[in-house]
Amino acid sequence: MALLEAEQVVMRFGGVVALDNASVDIDSGEVTGLIGPNGAGKTTLFNVVTGLLPPTSGRVKFDGHDITRSTVAKRSQMGIARTFQKLEAFNTLSAFDNVRVAVEKNHRAKWKHRRVGEVAHEMLGKVGLDEVADVTVGTLPTGSARLVELARALACRPRVLLLDEPSSGLNEEETTSIGQLLLELVADKDNDLAVLLVEHDMSFVMGVCARIHVLDFGKIIAVGTPIEVQADTAVRAAYLGSDEFRAAYTGVDE
Amino acid sequence: MIFGVRHSVAVAAALGTLAAVIIAVLTWKGAPVTSETFLVTTYIGLFLGALWAMYATGLVVVYTTTGVFNFAQGAIGVFAAFLYWELHVNRDWHSILALFVVVGLFAPALGVVLDILIMRRLRTASLVVQLMVTVAIMVLLLSVVGDIWEADTPRRVPYLFGINNGIDLGPSQLPWHRLIVFVVAIAIAVSMRFLLRRTRIGTAMRAVVDNRELAALNGARPNVVSSTSWALGSMMGALGGILIAPELGLDPATLNNVVIIAFAAAAFGALRNLPLAVVGAMLIGLLRAHTGAWLDFGPDFRFAHLSIAPLLLLFVVIALPQARLEVGRLAHHLRRHERYTKWWEGLLGCGVVILLAAAFSGGWLDFGGWDPGAWGSRELNSANEAMALALIGLSLVPLIGWAGQINFAPLAFAGFGAFVYLKLAGDTGNGYWILMVGLLCAPLGAIVALPAARLRGLYLALMTMAFAQAMSLIFFPHPWVMPIIGTGRQFPHIDLFGITFDDRRGFFMLMVSVFAIFVYALVLLRRSRYGRRWMAINDSQAAAATLGVPVVWTKVVVYAVSASMAGIAGVFWATVSGNVDSVQGFDLLLGFNIVLLVAAAGVSIPMAGIFLIFIPLFKGFGLRLEDAGNVDFLVTLLDIMTTYGPGLMVLGMVFNPRGAIFEMGRGFSPILPWRSDARAEIAAENAQKREPEIGELGLERPFTPEEVIAIDRRLEILDDVVPKEGYGTSRS
Repeated sequence: MALLEAEQVVMRFGGVVALDNASVDIDSGEVTGLIGPNGAGKTTLFNVVTGLLPPTSGRVKFDGHDITRSTVAKRSQMGIARTFQKLEAFNTLSAFDNVRVAVEKNHRAKWKHRRVGEVAHEMLGKVGLDEVADVTVGTLPTGSARLVELARALACRPRVLLLDEPSSGLNEEETTSIGQLLLELVADKDNDLAVLLVEHDMSFVMGVCARIHVLDFGKIIAVGTPIEVQADTAVRAAYLGSDEFRAAYTGVDE
Repeated sequence: MIFGVRHSVAVAAALGTLAAVIIAVLTWKGAPVTSETFLVTTYIGLFLGALWAMYATGLVVVYTTTGVFNFAQGAIGVFAAFLYWELHVNRDWHSILALFVVVGLFAPALGVVLDILIMRRLRTASLVVQLMVTVAIMVLLLSVVGDIWEADTPRRVPYLFGINNGIDLGPSQLPWHRLIVFVVAIAIAVSMRFLLRRTRIGTAMRAVVDNRELAALNGARPNVVSSTSWALGSMMGALGGILIAPELGLDPATLNNVVIIAFAAAAFGALRNLPLAVVGAMLIGLLRAHTGAWLDFGPDFRFAHLSIAPLLLLFVVIALPQARLEVGRLAHHLRRHERYTKWWEGLLGCGVVILLAAAFSGGWLDFGGWDPGAWGSRELNSANEAMALALIGLSLVPLIGWAGQINFAPLAFAGFGAFVYLKLAGDTGNGYWILMVGLLCAPLGAIVALPAARLRGLYLALMTMAFAQAMSLIFFPHPWVMPIIGTGRQFPHIDLFGITFDDRRGFFMLMVSVFAIFVYALVLLRRSRYGRRWMAINDSQAAAATLGVPVVWTKVVVYAVSASMAGIAGVFWATVSGNVDSVQGFDLLLGFNIVLLVAAAGVSIPMAGIFLIFIPLFKGFGLRLEDAGNVDFLVTLLDIMTTYGPGLMVLGMVFNPRGAIFEMGRGFSPILPWRSDARAEIAAENAQKREPEIGELGLERPFTPEEVIAIDRRLEILDDVVPKEGYGTSRS
């Protein structure tokens, strides 16, 4: 059984159907990709899974429990963490304090035998931000602020990590090292971690994901390994003319 | 967190109606209801509604077109009414001429000047700064009015065409004045609706507020648009003020409070819907007129009929579907390092404050020729009052400064604290009950927090304002709550540690000590996980929630802490003179002043509190100088500082949004050896200033020849490639 399942999720905003019976399942120990053209409903799905939006219908299951009606904070305690496409870092706090807020909240449940500052430093170290620990996040470049969000999410010691375009604002080298970090994190059996990755950088997605879900106009149109997805005709139709996909498909980077 | 929108509106409406029916039954006067009296009451209600609709229209037009909610709308009306009185009554100008000069020339000029000097620069400011600046303009305008037209002369603004001329309605008369008001108000609302929806400039106005840059690229001129909006809004405020003055009398505070009714009406239209705002204004007018005619609230609730608008505002704001309000954008600055006030800096600061206060009040400092001596009772009284207000102000630091929860009701919490203390300690003056006051005020804060938890920014400001106004109209004037002033000392001298603080100097030092304890507690709180968590929910509620932070509970806690502090401060506020005026003592305007002072000092820094203590010291010092004589210049200066200081300092936030304390800390950094961080920051900023700016890339204006050269150098384009002249300056 999958660790996290979204079953037949429908999300309507007035007349707009953002998610149309979308089902996604992710397993621990691997990175699952979620791709699709702009406006396909990827971020909406993240919001439904983390509880920021109540779905019109459908269910979200975590570890076998139905969490469709749980609060955002409750889901976080159960082990769902995320980053945001549109930056939601705590801009007036330092990078260190951003992470510290997360560690403090989860200290009793998840980091019992370690000191708060020590954990926070370790998380910042993982994303390579040691040097700017005491810099106010609002004054950091966008890419670094995204990494702060990642460190903050890791500080919740999640079992499911939802990443919304972590590579935007990062250069190629930084993107590669984030991909490496994700692979290391899921490979570590102690973490028992599942990652769901929304990403536009196709070479990044194809490189780290074990399986990929493709979302188009709120519907899941394909699920499979990167190779299967790239060969799928429905996917190619959805992306036809899209530079991103052509780049990914032909292996030529923009 | 997320309520069904229609559901909550229905529940609120049902509860409101039920409460209204119960109140109506309980307070029914028993006057006979005839169709004639009913009609007369209705026409008075519609007339009142029309006046408020005029204010509300101005508010909505400015808000929809510039995104700034103008708290100074009422004050513009006050200023215009006084100016009209000056020209028409005092200088005998014809009413039409005076009306034209004030509404047609002065008001639009004021609007344009405000826009050019201040409002335009608020575009990228945070919401807190935006709100504070318009509140500051309100306070400044009222101060100017108070200075020019001193309160001791009685003044009246006459009705247009007199009160006795008009249409005969049988039992009574409809004066031309009221008929004109009604027609003009409706005409203004309709034409504004037409302007915004059907004309080119109206479309441009609405486009500019959504995306200024994009609208500019499509040919709209944002600056012209915003100046037009402010001119129009200011004209409507001025007209409303002049037309309402004959009804209410020419009193700045009364006239200014009209704006709360306009806020309620505007909120009824979700701040953007003009027709609904007019309907809201009419509804409030009818409610006011009919409650006045049929209901009697008795002497204990003598201001209850005035509380309809604040209560409606409270209901509407709480029930309103929460559209995502535009929040200020954070401009990108240089990389800045976070800095906590160190624990020893806090101790040092508090120690200095206590010593300084002791030195001033004890007369240990000698200023040469002025014979400072000890302060007299007058100076100490004034200093004590200001000190108590400064204490109340400190309670806003965690709430506004850190958690970003705008609160215009610090005096409501303070008054509740004073009330609890009066009931607990009675005539004993036992100071240990003050701790209990702190505990008992926390639940009140929590109760306010619950509806506040789902509000943000502007709606929160309006809600707390309505709450403060409702408390000061219904709760505090009740004789059981606050004793009527003039019946002797009701709040006995505080008795603590076996000492009775019955002399003013001792009491002053007691307050200074409590002040120091508060400041130090804030320094520690800011360093704690609670301080961090409060700042986190201010920056992003969604992110905080996904980290497991319970957002509502966190807000409840910060409100409770703030209410406790304000409640304790309220005990001192009431004890200063042994009594507190149940009307003046909790006035909304006074509350605004406290909020302004804290904001100007830099509301997010615990040490900002230190700044507040200078106000009482200045006040006492000014009076002392006055007594000493022959230093008129200094007295005037200090007078201006205490009257206009808070407002002017807040206007300074347009340029330095981080507040005075922050800038002072930086200013002193060269002589504070441990502030190497601030010195490095200043150096970096100066270095950046020297860089030639090529940021905007010609989007706003063509390149100058100097910029072309700078860019070419940067891009290493060879000199001979560059055309000699005309390059970039004449873009077709």
